[in-house]
Amino acid sequence: MKKFSNRVMIVAAAFMLSSLYSCKPKNTADAVSGDAAEKVYVAPGKYDEFYDFVSGGFNGQMSVYGLPSGRLLKIVPVFSVFPENGYGYSEETKPMLNTSHGSVPWDDLHHLELSQTNGEIDGRWIFANANNTPRVARIDLSTFKTAEIMELPNSAGNHSSPFITENTEYVVAGTRFAVPMDNQNGDVPINTYRKNFKASISFISVDKTTGNMKVAFQLRVPPVDFDLSHSGKGKSHDWFFFSCYNTEQANTLLEVNASQRDKDFILAVNWKKLEEYANAGKGHKEAVSYAHNVYNEESHTSTSTIEKEVTVLDAKDLKDICYFIPCPKSPHGCDVDPTGEYIVGSGKLAALIPVFSFDKIQKAIADKDFIGNYDGIPVIKYESALYGEVQKPGLGPLHTEFDGRGNAITTMFVSSEIVRWNIKDLKIIDRQPTFYSPGHLSIPGGDTRKPNGKYVIVYNKITKDRYLPTGPELAQAAQLFDITGDKMKLLLDFPTVGEPHYGQAVAASVIKDKSVKFFDINKNKNPYVAKGEADAKVVRNGKRVDVYITQIRSHFVPDNIEGIKMGDEVYWHVTNLEQDWDVPHGFAIKGAANAAELLVMPGETQTLAWNPEKPGIYPFYCTDFCSALHQEMQGYVRVSAANSNVPLTFSTGKNMPDSTNTPPLLTQ
Amino acid sequence: MKHSLSFKNSSRILLVLGALVLLAIIKLPMWRIDLQAPQYPEGLTLFIYPNHLGGDVDIVNGLNHYIGMKPLHTEDFFEFKILPFITIGFSVLLLLTAFVGKRWMLISVFILFIIFGIIAMIDFWRWEYNYGHTLNPDAPIIVPGMAYQPPLIGFKQLLNFGAYSIPALGGFLFVGVGILLFAVNVIELRYKKRVKAIINKQAVAAACALLLIGFSSCNSSPEQIVLGKDNCSYCKMPFGDARFGAELITSKGKVYKFDDAHCLFSFINENNSTKSNSKIYFIDFSGGHTFVPAENAVYLKSETFHTPMNGNIAAFQSQESLQVAMQKFPGTVLQWNELNTK
Repeated sequence: MKKFSNRVMIVAAAFMLSSLYSCKPKNTADAVSGDAAEKVYVAPGKYDEFYDFVSGGFNGQMSVYGLPSGRLLKIVPVFSVFPENGYGYSEETKPMLNTSHGSVPWDDLHHLELSQTNGEIDGRWIFANANNTPRVARIDLSTFKTAEIMELPNSAGNHSSPFITENTEYVVAGTRFAVPMDNQNGDVPINTYRKNFKASISFISVDKTTGNMKVAFQLRVPPVDFDLSHSGKGKSHDWFFFSCYNTEQANTLLEVNASQRDKDFILAVNWKKLEEYANAGKGHKEAVSYAHNVYNEESHTSTSTIEKEVTVLDAKDLKDICYFIPCPKSPHGCDVDPTGEYIVGSGKLAALIPVFSFDKIQKAIADKDFIGNYDGIPVIKYESALYGEVQKPGLGPLHTEFDGRGNAITTMFVSSEIVRWNIKDLKIIDRQPTFYSPGHLSIPGGDTRKPNGKYVIVYNKITKDRYLPTGPELAQAAQLFDITGDKMKLLLDFPTVGEPHYGQAVAASVIKDKSVKFFDINKNKNPYVAKGEADAKVVRNGKRVDVYITQIRSHFVPDNIEGIKMGDEVYWHVTNLEQDWDVPHGFAIKGAANAAELLVMPGETQTLAWNPEKPGIYPFYCTDFCSALHQEMQGYVRVSAANSNVPLTFSTGKNMPDSTNTPPLLTQ
Repeated sequence: MKHSLSFKNSSRILLVLGALVLLAIIKLPMWRIDLQAPQYPEGLTLFIYPNHLGGDVDIVNGLNHYIGMKPLHTEDFFEFKILPFITIGFSVLLLLTAFVGKRWMLISVFILFIIFGIIAMIDFWRWEYNYGHTLNPDAPIIVPGMAYQPPLIGFKQLLNFGAYSIPALGGFLFVGVGILLFAVNVIELRYKKRVKAIINKQAVAAACALLLIGFSSCNSSPEQIVLGKDNCSYCKMPFGDARFGAELITSKGKVYKFDDAHCLFSFINENNSTKSNSKIYFIDFSGGHTFVPAENAVYLKSETFHTPMNGNIAAFQSQESLQVAMQKFPGTVLQWNELNTK
């Protein structure tokens, strides 16, 4: 009996302890619906439904994916040099990366915005912002090339950008870092932030036909950090909304010091009135220096101009342009629903999502329902602008987009999920985990008047174990969800290039038929074009040598060049004579320091600068597999001593060996 | 030593075994807190050894600075200095007892052991309370009303982390030594057969009680409310806001969850059979996700709450926390029996 009771006690104790394990939560496995594979499979030879333009973040490029397959279609170089095709290395593209600080070969491409007409995506251009040296780029969607880059004066950090008005009248660029203005003495102690530092919001006008950009005017605003923005739609068309944080105006340890105030702001700007004031001459001109670079498609050349002045209007002086709306807490996303009535702020440290009403904001302004002024700008009472709050949606709300059926979907960074909620009744409908910690999500047209509520693509910041490990540096992870039903269904998980901060997707039909297949060589206006092999030549002007060289399957003209001397500056102007689809040629030459290859499209001319460092023979060749005899597409250049008498000669197929230097090929 | 009063050999061996196990414990982790979060598929663990903190201490400290929790450092805890000595002390006592073989030593060591265990758990709870409630007011992330006291034993959801606190190997061995001591006590305390029978019956009864506790340890206490996943048992709406939540647990262990006092009372009215013998709990409005038994709570009714079904009642563990909340949400204070009539 003793032994029995002893054993029973031991068993009971062990049981009690082990029963604690039944409380242990289990890891939830991914729940993927059964037909997910069918929904994302695009059969060989078939096209994806959507183009998905995704920002590359710290790679400075823009990637193009197809949806629903998640296949990477292209990387378009914008702010970073791209040795792959010579962007930033060819003489024609070097000016694109010029700034008032000199040539900057890299930037941080954060956000993208497709051009719109009447609130719908029109597929003409896509705009991109550069965060480090503040710039906005316009990419042409018929050639998928960067067509124009505009630097911004009086700016540092360009985060709240490149958001557009409904008809692409303006692209905005709001600063992230407040700094002294360009025409002030900037050599001041850092802790004079509140006195000396200011912020700017630039309004870049876009020409309706050509797309050419111009900094129309700048709005001078209090020194807070501007984060994201969107323009109004429909009834709120005249307004632009900017989220801002660091209203504490801290200059150090922002992690703590910019998180103190319970509410920061959304800045509402009546840009239509601002435009009227600017046109009426109410602004003042400031002397600045910023670069404006344009790529001409016909001459395949870019030019860089330094602009010298900008028109500035101060928000403090113009009493009816700017209003602050309190928004909890360090807001990030600032999104306007398709009707233009609701403005959603996502406070990344807040435990709720505030939804503001445009009508209520207008009424509050008319009734002067203000709680005071912040740095000269009236602050509207929170409750008077608020439509309602979504309570406890999750942790760390960041971005919101709309499905076109009266619902919004918001990313939750800290609780690693997306949450769908109804705008009218502010109730949560569905939540799905994402892997892991999403930053941005995008719905095709999700920030326009006509969202296509078929998919949501979530761009995550933490990858860890989603794919095969590739060392410590991992690709980012994106997930594709089907949102047509009541519950959001996970379909696909695919890695992305660089670090996506923003995506813009559009139905393929809007763009694919406008895509240029090749350039018409007859329209080529490059000053160094050779329109046929007869025009190929080598011309010396003192120390400068211009080589006009043509490419066609599978040879160069000329392919034997002699008479180059040490100390010459040689320019290779390469023209691809093909007039057919998908026949690019590449060009690379040995000993090209600080250069890369050229990738020349049919009908295009591109130039590579080359300065050989010693006499000798230098081969060049085509780098893109163009034909069956691609391997034979090559040439030689002879570089002689600086004082040599070797005449300048060039030819293809003529420079045969003579009898004196022709040993027989085979001997017995 | 008198023959009839000396310990059995098996008892001595058990005591020596216990002493050796205690020595081994010095090098083993006593307790573990496992943390799970969606963005940590690999999981995070904090190990508490007798003389230091181990596991992912640095990562946990890094994460906790956002919510203003003090970083954990081994040097800050006096417990790590004295625990190894206490453990060695017990080991020596066990060896002495095995050698000397006196019953009073046996009983004393056992009682000391139990007391030490209780004090250790109280100290652990006290430390956890301070750790979770002493928050830096300048912290970047402040969730109103939230405290981060890790669970003493068991599971608790803290923001996006599920914290799971259980003994580690050393802790289990410590308990094992305690059971071993108890067993030796029972064996050696020889009384007449009748008393023995009583003791044995008591032992069996104790074992059964332990078994029952073990069975129901996860069922009779309230379950966590999972926002967005759980639905209110009355109005069927998904939980968007847990602060006004309530739970009813029947005598059979079935748990009903409600997102509003209105739903709880409507449910009770329509299901008269559940009223008797059920336990009712409310979420403490001021204290994160903790539950208060309905009879122990005080209530504040205020129209400014805007609860999901307009019951507009929040429950509090203490008058003090209710008074604090009343400054923000003016209303009337009610007791449990006053609520029942609504």
